[in-house]
Amino acid sequence: MLKGHLDALLMATLAGGPRHGYAIKEALRAGSGGRFDLPTGTIYPALHRLERAGLIRGSWSVVNGRRRRSYQLTATGRRALTRERSSWREFSAAVSALLGEAPWPAPA
Amino acid sequence: MAGTGMTDPYHDPHGDDLVDDYLAAITAQLPGPASARVAIAEELRDGLLETRHAHLARGRSDREASTAAIAEFGDPRAVAAAFGLELAAAQARRVARGLLATGPLVGLSWIAAAAVNAFPPWRHQLTGPWLALPVVGLALLTAGPALGVTMTTTGRSATLESRADQQASSALTAVAVAALAAATADLTLLAMLAGHALTAPGPLRWVGVAVAASLTRGLLAGRAARRCLGVRAALP
Repeated sequence: MLKGHLDALLMATLAGGPRHGYAIKEALRAGSGGRFDLPTGTIYPALHRLERAGLIRGSWSVVNGRRRRSYQLTATGRRALTRERSSWREFSAAVSALLGEAPWPAPA
Repeated sequence: MAGTGMTDPYHDPHGDDLVDDYLAAITAQLPGPASARVAIAEELRDGLLETRHAHLARGRSDREASTAAIAEFGDPRAVAAAFGLELAAAQARRVARGLLATGPLVGLSWIAAAAVNAFPPWRHQLTGPWLALPVVGLALLTAGPALGVTMTTTGRSATLESRADQQASSALTAVAVAALAAATADLTLLAMLAGHALTAPGPLRWVGVAVAASLTRGLLAGRAARRCLGVRAALP
């Protein structure tokens, strides 16, 4: 189900500020009520791909004696997230209209 | 460190043997430069120890917490495969950028050398060794679109994860073609200059920069092409 949406979901977890890989995974899990509990290991390559695309930016820091890489949205990433949100709203409204319980118009 | 009574991974920057084995299983399968593999291992280690800490906070033992953290991260082969595709695409893009940056410099150095020495291509009909000049043009016509393919398949519009394997493979093929074309252009230019020096005696001025530029770029491009094809062959 996540295929094609993972990039937007990962970016959405960074809308409120920088996070590191594990925090992003936890945000996905908590924000989806536990539905999107992805293998943590697959989050990191996806983050690297988004960074290569210029949508997020990673930076190293030292926390509790360990090097940590945190990610934040770039200006391009913010614009891309806004576009993704808008197209998702349109898509989900259309699917809701079709799958909702309201009766379909009678065929002509 | 497991089983030694240490319960706070924040003071355990090296993790434990389970975590180390898991990370080694991933990094051993990764292509690309060692520095990239070390950076990935560091980032994953931090995430693993964070996960482990969360399990310790829920009352699990050191060993149980490590095992649970590793299970949460997933099959090391799947993680390595996903990173492998990403590293492959990143390598293709890096080589493409290098070729895009050095191409104009190499070209300008040869144009300058040709202008200063009034080489035949600069002022006359192509003769002698300069008859091979169309090879350089052909190489440029090949490298341009190939670099375009590389930048497109590794760029912003190509971030959807669904076709990452095809994109990485296409990017590596395209950039290897571009690098081979660049190396061919360099070899041809150098061979034409050598032919000129042998057949048309006279002083050559300001050709050192062009020769050095083509020797360096040609060698690096040839090596990059070989590496990219090697990484492509190892893609899952």
